Amino acid sequence: MRSICLLLGLLALFGQPLYAAQLAERVHEERLENGLTLLMLERRDAPTVSAYISFRVGGANEGAHNRGIAHLLEHMLFKGTKTLGTSDYAAEKPLLGQIESVGSRIDLLKNNPAADQAELETLRERLTELQQQHKEYVVKDEFSRIYAENGGVGFNAFTSKDQTTYLISLPANKLELWAAIESDRLQNAVLREFYTEREVVREERRRSYESNPGGMLYEALIANAYTVHPYRNPVIGWDSDIANLSLAEARDFFKRYYRPVNMVITLVGDFDSEKAKALVTKYFSAIPSGTPVPRVIDLEPAQRGEKRITVNFEAEPDLSIAFHKPAMPHQDDYSADLLTDILAGGATSRLYKRLVVEEQLASSVHIYGAPGSRYDNLLVIGATPRHPHTVAEVEAAIYAELDRLKSEPVSAQELQRARNRLVTDNLRQMRTNNGLARLLSSYAAIGSWRYLTDYAEKIEAVDASGLLAFANRYFSANNRTVAVLQREVK
Amino acid sequence: MRLKFCFLFLLALTACSAQVQTQANRPDSLNFPDLEFEFPQVAHLTLANGIEVYLREDHDLPLVEVTAMVGGGSVFDPPDMTGLSDLFVEGLQTGGAGAYSSEQLEENLDNMAADLAVSSSDYAYTINMSMRRQDLEQGAAILADILREPGFDPQRIEVARQGLIEGVRRRNDDPGAIAGRTLSQTIYKNHPLGRVPKKNTLENIQREDLLRLHQTYFQPNNLSLAVSGDIDLEVLKVLLGQIFEGWEASELPNLEPPALPEMPQNGGISIADKDIPQTTIMLGQPGIDKNNPDVMTLKVANFILGGGGFNSRMMREIRSNQGLAYSVYSYFQIGRVLPELFIAKCETKCGSTLEVVGMMRAEMQAMIDLPVSDKELTTAKESLINSFVFAFTNSHSIVTRQQRLDFYAYPVDYMQTYRQKIAAVTTEDVQRVAKQYLRPDQLQIVLVGRKNEFEQDPGAALGMPVENVDLGLE
Repeated sequence: MRSICLLLGLLALFGQPLYAAQLAERVHEERLENGLTLLMLERRDAPTVSAYISFRVGGANEGAHNRGIAHLLEHMLFKGTKTLGTSDYAAEKPLLGQIESVGSRIDLLKNNPAADQAELETLRERLTELQQQHKEYVVKDEFSRIYAENGGVGFNAFTSKDQTTYLISLPANKLELWAAIESDRLQNAVLREFYTEREVVREERRRSYESNPGGMLYEALIANAYTVHPYRNPVIGWDSDIANLSLAEARDFFKRYYRPVNMVITLVGDFDSEKAKALVTKYFSAIPSGTPVPRVIDLEPAQRGEKRITVNFEAEPDLSIAFHKPAMPHQDDYSADLLTDILAGGATSRLYKRLVVEEQLASSVHIYGAPGSRYDNLLVIGATPRHPHTVAEVEAAIYAELDRLKSEPVSAQELQRARNRLVTDNLRQMRTNNGLARLLSSYAAIGSWRYLTDYAEKIEAVDASGLLAFANRYFSANNRTVAVLQREVK
Repeated sequence: MRLKFCFLFLLALTACSAQVQTQANRPDSLNFPDLEFEFPQVAHLTLANGIEVYLREDHDLPLVEVTAMVGGGSVFDPPDMTGLSDLFVEGLQTGGAGAYSSEQLEENLDNMAADLAVSSSDYAYTINMSMRRQDLEQGAAILADILREPGFDPQRIEVARQGLIEGVRRRNDDPGAIAGRTLSQTIYKNHPLGRVPKKNTLENIQREDLLRLHQTYFQPNNLSLAVSGDIDLEVLKVLLGQIFEGWEASELPNLEPPALPEMPQNGGISIADKDIPQTTIMLGQPGIDKNNPDVMTLKVANFILGGGGFNSRMMREIRSNQGLAYSVYSYFQIGRVLPELFIAKCETKCGSTLEVVGMMRAEMQAMIDLPVSDKELTTAKESLINSFVFAFTNSHSIVTRQQRLDFYAYPVDYMQTYRQKIAAVTTEDVQRVAKQYLRPDQLQIVLVGRKNEFEQDPGAALGMPVENVDLGLE
């Protein structure tokens, strides 16, 4: 049986790059004069289009003074423009100025224990009053309404360490609506209802991190794995960061980075590329090109010993172990992908077999790259201990498997299986317009979408000795951070 | 690095899913060409042994996906074996099949880069398999083995059982899970729709029970297959002839679920006191099933109330206007067989818990007391009608939808008439169904969070009896 499967696996590799080549031919890449990158892929199966706009900026581009701003700005960009979201911008504008002036005065005083509490109270009342007056001019969530009435779905945005992306899928006849709204948003955004939205983001933080054991462990792991690099900071910001972010910071970040030179538009679906290009040119070419987002220069010093942290939380025990490694497109990043699959990819993966099936120390294992993709990052292994087995037992078993990788080369069959699974997994993500647009947009924002078409060839070039070298280089105690979540031991 | 999209790395704007100005140059004043849209065709055939087969060809990628659906499901689990269906699907997934041991089967699948996922729902078991075109014959043969001759390797059943027991231990880790489970138990009581597995009910299950379950439900005339991808009908027919040869129809199992108990008539509060800074609020009440004549009207009404994202009242008021939450929404679970629930959910800091409960109930009451505005009605209807085309963007969704519509005996013109029915809904209809179906005074209210930080005593504030939820380990 094994030999037959191996043969099929080899045939597969002759098949896959062919598709990759087709993909390379089908993507139309254009660059507008102002530096905007446009990717288009025509697919006529259904009369819809998925449209993504990614900016090459995210949490990693923040400092201590504005942690969380990339994400809060993303929220703020749903609040409308000078024409959308307002009944009369000219009348609204002075009120927005007063709100900002009172709001920033409150922010200045609220952290100062010596501040005049009566003044603070008066200011807060004044802010509420002004916000109440402002409501008269606000037309709530107009982007959302217009897109919805026109049949749009999945109108959303997300912020990561390296990029910020705005997305929507629309019936194919509404592509111009997208171009009109999005170009208006880029040129005329009005950051209204700021102080209320800041509270929304604090609720988001409570929900995803402070009340969620998985989120809390992840945040603690990343914050401790890095000492210097901004990857250590949560994209959402710490609570006191969010509570003190200012409108001025948001505006500055927007004006500085949301520029064509940092921007990738990706369209996948039922349209004509020539017409779509004309549309994008018409709506977006007036935007001044801007300057590229500067590269983060903070270099994480080599770790000189294991880091170990405990998170006390009202939940059953959980374990995460992170190892520093280079980011794509470094050769070692491809090795990490293969090892990811070999260790915890499928039912035959090494950690799953050992921890879950054979020794039954854990009820599940997982492995992933984090927290970003542009700068050197982490390979994270997590496992859920199965009672009465302890975190320590699980941890020891994981290290035993990692040690095996340092001395015994993986078999040819195991390696081939991992290659097949990685390449096929990429294919699966391309089945929908939305999935393909997301892939193209994300890779283009981080590096190049051609990463996708070269992928099979690159991982074909990694051999067993390369994986052995990777294991020896990175799976060391010196290079790891171990985070354990447990109930407090009283 | 292959980019994975999961919540830990990405912070999305929303967790789930106005007035018009007459002004020049507004994006919504543009004119658009008509949308050309035809219902995609799904090939349907019934094999001699009763298997229903659906196919949607899609040759864009060299992949084939198959979903096998078998009538049965957790609604038929005996009370003392609650969790039977969960263990059963784990057994199908990991226990080997046909001539293959558990290990051989897993190895074959991984070598093919195939994905196998077996799951159970209230009324069906589902086996989903995605494979490369070149592996079709081998993959289909494995699928047939799993359907016809699962191995239920005793050692792997034990692994699965211990994993499920670990899940029971961990069920109080996540506030949303506590809230959902508590709400179902409060309304469905000891009916299968409200029961959850316990250590002892999982320990009660023997391998013979899994075999019996398989024998009862896994019959060709109780099975349908939805196929999409790089395969054409003639090839599929030949393949099915091979893998299902000699499998004869047999007596169909009884698929009538146990009747529901009497639904609670009075509201009540369940409090799970958990040391977290944010309260998960879940409101629920008995709802509807798919044959309810008001299904489409309720879709429109709920869009306005809490289903339409930023275009819904709950989101607009509680999140956008007040900044009291990140996520808030409501929905009617459309019961496929038995009626299910109306649910509204939100999370807010513990200190604003009762304020938000009050706002959610007030929005329900407002739907009853006042007609919705024409603008709200237009937004809801236009959105539901114009986004209808997205039901057809994914070949496999197209074909599995047809499979489910037939399995649950939806009217044959369900999809064809969907948009007309939405278009026919009026303001009066919306208010009528709000009055008929929403019961803001009789809600079951679940609160999971730091009780001592709530602004008021919930029982006193809401005038309802309070029960405390035990979060101790079993």
